[in-house]
Amino acid sequence: MENVIEVKHLVKSFENKTALKRVDFNVKKGETIGFLGPSGSGKTTIIKILTAQLHPTSGEVKVFNEPIHKLKTPAYMKKIGILTDNSGLYERLSIYDNLALYGDLYEVKKSRINEVLEAVNLLDEKKQIVQKLSKGMKQRVTLARAILHKPDLLFLDEPTSALDPVNTKYIHEGLKKLNEEGTTIFLTTHDMQEAEVLCDRVAFLHDGEIRLLDTPQSLRAREKNISISLVLKGDRTVVVKKDEEGAKAIYDSIQTGQLLTIHSNEPTLGDIFVRLTGRNL
Amino acid sequence: MTFSTKRVNAIFIKDWKDLQRNSYILFTAAIPLFFAAWLGRIGADSAILASYPVNLALVIAGAFIQAAMVAEEKEKNTLRGLLLSPANTLEILVGKSALSAVMTIVIITGSILLSGYHVPSLPVFAVSILLGLIIYLAIGTILGLLSRTVMESSIIGMPVLVVFGMASMVKTTIENEVLVKVIDYLPSEQLNHIWVRLGEGEGLSAVSGNMAVLLLWAAASFFATMLIYRKNSMDYS
Ligand SMILES: Nc1ncnc2c1ncn2[C@@H]1O[C@H](COP(=O)(O)OP(=O)(O)O)[C@@H](O)[C@H]1O
Ligand SMILES: [Mg+2]
Repeated sequence: MENVIEVKHLVKSFENKTALKRVDFNVKKGETIGFLGPSGSGKTTIIKILTAQLHPTSGEVKVFNEPIHKLKTPAYMKKIGILTDNSGLYERLSIYDNLALYGDLYEVKKSRINEVLEAVNLLDEKKQIVQKLSKGMKQRVTLARAILHKPDLLFLDEPTSALDPVNTKYIHEGLKKLNEEGTTIFLTTHDMQEAEVLCDRVAFLHDGEIRLLDTPQSLRAREKNISISLVLKGDRTVVVKKDEEGAKAIYDSIQTGQLLTIHSNEPTLGDIFVRLTGRNL
Repeated sequence: MTFSTKRVNAIFIKDWKDLQRNSYILFTAAIPLFFAAWLGRIGADSAILASYPVNLALVIAGAFIQAAMVAEEKEKNTLRGLLLSPANTLEILVGKSALSAVMTIVIITGSILLSGYHVPSLPVFAVSILLGLIIYLAIGTILGLLSRTVMESSIIGMPVLVVFGMASMVKTTIENEVLVKVIDYLPSEQLNHIWVRLGEGEGLSAVSGNMAVLLLWAAASFFATMLIYRKNSMDYS
C-alpha cells in the first residue's frame, strides 16, 4: 500500500522549547492511525506541521508524495479535512449557516450539508445559533465541517474530548464508515478506548518522541504476565497467575462451586503507556 | 492564481448574516450618519466642511469596522478555518472586505444625503471614493491582522483613526511645517483637495496629481496587506 504521510527525522523547536525531538513514521492509504500522549507531548504540533500551519525545524515531511513546504495550496486544502481543539465557529450564525459557508468554499452540493449533520447527530438542531450550543455540540459541528467535502485525509485533534459516551459512540461509527469509504484518518487522543476502537495502529508519543508504534493487539501482546481474576461467592476476589498453581486454583473454585465469574486482566493501552513512560495520560 | 467569485460571495454572505446580529458593528456604523445628520441640521455648507462626513464614513466604516471584523476572525479562531480551506489569499482578502465595502458605500451615500452635501462631478467623485475605499479597507485589514482581539483592534485603531480621519480637521491649528507637509500627503487630505477642486467646477485634469498620489497609496497598502496576511497565515497558534 502506498504511503499517504511520510515523516523522517522530524524536529520542531520553538524559541524556548523543543516540542518534537525526532519523529519518524509513515501512514498508509486507508489507514486510521492514532497518536496517544499526555498533553504537551507534541500531538497538536505534529498536526500543525502536517497541515502546513507550522514549518518543521528540520526533517523530511511528505504528504501525498509532496514535500510539505509545497503544500500550502488550495489543491492540498481540498484533499484534507481538519479538526483541531481551537477550530473556531461563527458564534452568531446557525449551525447550518456555518456549514453553508464551508460548503461553498469547498464547492460541495447543498444536500451534503444535511448528510454531515446527520452523521454528527445534529440534523434537528441545525437552525440553532452556535453561541447557544454546548461544548460537545460545537465539537460535533466542527467535525461536520471537517468531513463536509469527504477529504482523502482527515486530521482529528482530540475529536471527542468534549462528547458524552452516547455521542462518542455515534461519532466513532461515523468515522469508521468514512474510513471504509477510503478516508485516511490521523487522529490524536488521550482516550485509550478511542484508540482501541478506531485505530489500525497506535503511536505512543511522550516528550516529543514516539516510544512505540504498532497495532493495538501487538501492543497488548507485549505483556507476558497476564493475571486472571476469579470472583468467588461471598464477594471474594482471587487473582492468580497463568501457571500451574493458578490452574489448580481455578479448577478448585469451579469444582467446589465457589466461582462466580472469571476474567483475564489484559493490560489496557493505558497500562502499557504508564509502564513505558512512568506517566499517566 | 485562480479567483472564484463563488468563494468570495460565500464569505460576503456569511458576514452579512453575521452583521444582522452584531450590535457592536451596527452601532459603530451609525456614528458617521449621526455626525452627517448633525452637520445637515446646523446647515454647514462649505464643500470642505460637508466632505468631513464622507471622510469619517471612510475611516469608520472602511478602516475601523473592517479592522474589528478581521480581528474577530482572529480572536474566535475562524480565520484559521478560512486559511485551511481551498480559498486563496486574494479570495479571502476580497471576500473579507466585501461587506465593509458595501457598508461604506451605503454610509457615504447616507452621509451625503443627511448632510446635504452637493456632489460635484459624480464620475470623478466616485473614482476618488473608490480609491479611498481601497486604501482604508487595506489599512483596516492590516490593523485587524495585527491585533489579536476586537478590543485590541479598537485600541490600536484609535490613533490611526485620529491621524487618517481628523488630521485634516486640525491641520489649520498645526504650526510645524514638516508635519503640515506630511498631512498634505495623507489620503484624507488628497481626497479633500479633490473634492474642493471639483466643487469649484474643475475637472479631472485639475486633480490628476492627487489621484496619482491616491493610486500610489492604494497600491502600497494593498501589497502591504498581502504581505502581512501571508506572514500571519503561518506560525501562529
Ligand atoms: N507556538 C508555540 N510556542 C512555544 N511553544 C509551543 C508552541 N506550541 C506548542 N508549544 C509547546 O510544545 C509542546 C507540545 O505542544 P502540543 O503539540 O500542543 O502538545 P499536545 O497537543 O500533545 O498537548 C508543549 O510543551 C507546548 O508548550
Ligand atoms: Mg493538543
